[in-house]
Amino acid sequence: MPSITIKRLRKAYKVYEREAGVLAAVRSLVRRKTREIVAVDDVSFEVEPGEVVGFLGPNGAGKTTTLKMLAGLLYPTAGEISVLGHCPWKREKAFLSQITMVMGQRSQLIWDIPAIDSFELNRAIYRIPLPTYRDVLDTLTDLLELGPLLQKPVRTLSLGERMKCEIAAALLHRPQVLFLDEPTIGLDVTMQRRIRSFIGEYNQRFGASVLLTSHYMADVEALCKRIIVIHHGIILFDGDLTSLVERFSPHKKIVVSLDTLNGYDLQAYGNVVEHSDEGRVVFQVPKDEVARVTGKLLADLPILDVTIEDPPIESVIEQVFAQEVIV
Amino acid sequence: MRSFLQPFQSLRLLWVFFRISLLNEAAYRANFFMQVLQSLINLATSLVLLLTIFSYTSALNGWRPAELLALVGVYFLMGGLMNVVLQPSMSRFMKDIRMGTLDYTLTKPEDAQVLVSMQQVEIWRLVDVLLGIVIIIVAMFWRGTIVNAWEILGFVATLIAGAMIIYSFLLVLATISFWYVKVDNILVIFQSMYEAGRWPVTIYPGWLRIILTFIVPVAFAITVPASALVGQLTWYILLGAVILAIVALLGARSFWRIGLRHYTGASA
Amino acid sequence: MRHITDVYRALFSIRIAELLQYRVALVIWLIEVALGPIISIVIWSAVARARGGTVDGYTSATFAAYFLIAMLVNYFTQTWVFWEFEWRVREGTFSPLLLRPVHPIHGDIAQNIAYKLLMLTVIIPVSILIAIVFHPVFHLTWLAAIAFVFALLQAFVLRFAVEWALALLTFWSTRVDVLNQLYIVVLMLLSGQLVPLAFFPQPVQIAATVLPFRWMVAFPVELCLGSVAPGEILPGLAAQSAWLLLSIIILIVMWRTGIRRYSAVGA
Repeated sequence: MPSITIKRLRKAYKVYEREAGVLAAVRSLVRRKTREIVAVDDVSFEVEPGEVVGFLGPNGAGKTTTLKMLAGLLYPTAGEISVLGHCPWKREKAFLSQITMVMGQRSQLIWDIPAIDSFELNRAIYRIPLPTYRDVLDTLTDLLELGPLLQKPVRTLSLGERMKCEIAAALLHRPQVLFLDEPTIGLDVTMQRRIRSFIGEYNQRFGASVLLTSHYMADVEALCKRIIVIHHGIILFDGDLTSLVERFSPHKKIVVSLDTLNGYDLQAYGNVVEHSDEGRVVFQVPKDEVARVTGKLLADLPILDVTIEDPPIESVIEQVFAQEVIV
Repeated sequence: MRSFLQPFQSLRLLWVFFRISLLNEAAYRANFFMQVLQSLINLATSLVLLLTIFSYTSALNGWRPAELLALVGVYFLMGGLMNVVLQPSMSRFMKDIRMGTLDYTLTKPEDAQVLVSMQQVEIWRLVDVLLGIVIIIVAMFWRGTIVNAWEILGFVATLIAGAMIIYSFLLVLATISFWYVKVDNILVIFQSMYEAGRWPVTIYPGWLRIILTFIVPVAFAITVPASALVGQLTWYILLGAVILAIVALLGARSFWRIGLRHYTGASA
Repeated sequence: MRHITDVYRALFSIRIAELLQYRVALVIWLIEVALGPIISIVIWSAVARARGGTVDGYTSATFAAYFLIAMLVNYFTQTWVFWEFEWRVREGTFSPLLLRPVHPIHGDIAQNIAYKLLMLTVIIPVSILIAIVFHPVFHLTWLAAIAFVFALLQAFVLRFAVEWALALLTFWSTRVDVLNQLYIVVLMLLSGQLVPLAFFPQPVQIAATVLPFRWMVAFPVELCLGSVAPGEILPGLAAQSAWLLLSIIILIVMWRTGIRRYSAVGA
């Protein structure tokens, strides 16, 4: 029984077009041209309980819009949507008690007071019984190392410390579905890693479904077995990372270290993308040629070291966007 | 059964918000004293004016000195109630829309209007509430005539009705933010016009009286409850206030829901 | 027909959007500025009515004139330096001002005037409104009119000097907001803005005259209303000048000591 089901979801906005020039402005007084912007178009997928799904896409791709529709913050224009058996936009209390939303750069904690007070507020709003609350709070304090942070006013915390408290506040009621919109944005590398590992651990421990949007490949790589790539409101890819790479990167890189570069016609072996004076050469080679070319290089040249690399995932994703081919 | 318990559950939440403000402000005694100073200064100005006026006449538009003092008390009382939770909460709501943090309020399993209306408490404003009550008691003693149970009941009823009307008015103003985000100053309109409530609305020329009754409901907030205290309340004004309060609450609630639907992109 | 309603709808929503987004502040300002004088005029007219028409020689029309002019004189002489200073010291933006070769007071004077020019867009309509609704009556002689101009200018400088000097107290303490509150209320009472000074008991009137407050707002207003006897005009102007000089001296002294303290304590 999937925890989230979306069928043919669509969200369209009417936007008033404003052309430049006085004449156009006057004309727009009389008849305004409307244009329809489709933020999400015919999107369908299902999420099983406990799955961690990453949404990738450039800005304006429709990731956040989709997430908001799942959280009940936006009404869809068309399509069916079901989260934990509820219709999100009806915003029933039973539904809202089981979900949570964390938006990077936007805080739900009250600024001037210690984080613990915001926690208390959530406890009252979610009607969490005191023993349960204390239990969850202890666990979260442990996992996120919140100890000294809770009593300090939120405005005195650093961005990373605040983010940890944000996440804790969002999880006090042990939601079954987590919507995380760019949770690691603006954080330093260490903190990003901490948050990632926490989310992973939380998912393991409590079996909550996690829907995560991010710009950072590292987030997605570390956490999400399943990736949905959205661009222009359409799903371009839905599957795991390895398939994505396999399907979309037709090339691999062969990096060799040579004793000397002199006299060798490197181009004959393959497309040379880089070479340095110290003897490091990088070939870009079609996947099915890798074995053959490597063999030839090893046979013909005085190779000191050889490595075979996958291209960085960013460039793979870029290719997916560029091609806009639905997989 | 559920919806019958609703208002009481909201009160429980209101208490949580109060507690948070109290716990966190208690350390800032300077703010407390500042509020006391400001309120006393406010009162002193009123008293000086009243004293000067009553050195020239014994009654102003049918209101005797003690009665005008009672009105001043209601002015402080109602002003305090407004500024302790309503005005700060509405301000914060409008800021949340601008900052994009309203979404957090909307994902909570609690009626958004309830949360928005009580989410910010400024605890030291209770000084005005206390001051208002003290002034009213002093004024009633000075006035001398014994207040009977009916008058007290009338006062409480009109006070509650007035508070409900004010709340609805502020909520309607704040709801406009769903459409026009930049109107953060709009609540100040009410604060400015509230100043006119230091005096019985009947003193003002017709056009101003109408504005202060039906457009910016200062009359229902202050003059009507004060008139109850001094035995000037009539049955039909009391009934009118109560009916208006109910209509205002329902109207504000509907407008809120329309605004919320607009904000969340529901087709009209 | 549909076309026409489209036009109206488009026009209205554009107008409303503009009004709400850019002019709300102006409308609120208008209300705030207009309300004070209107309330005062109405109240005192009611008192006059209760006494059969006049209060100490003031009729409704006189009250209308009084509070209208008081509003205008207050507008002309008011400053906001206190809040500016509080903000500057808090945000630390004062130091850059000190590095400039020009004394910071000039910048504040310029800003004050500029802001007031902008405020004219509100003050003028409000004045016209009050004049139309309440029919003020003035008794202005030529002598009084000329004296009024001088008195107004002196009042502006006097009030600016006093309030700037008070603002400098932020160098010595962060809790000067208390003092500011007290200053505002004393100013309100003793400068004749709440009530014409003539209505106060003698001791209060003397206090207002000995202190600079009468000279900041009330004196120019009284001149405009013709309440100052011809023989009192020159002595009045002289007293105002004396206070003006005194306040400038105090300002210079406070500035010198204040700056030394500011640099010592920490920029």
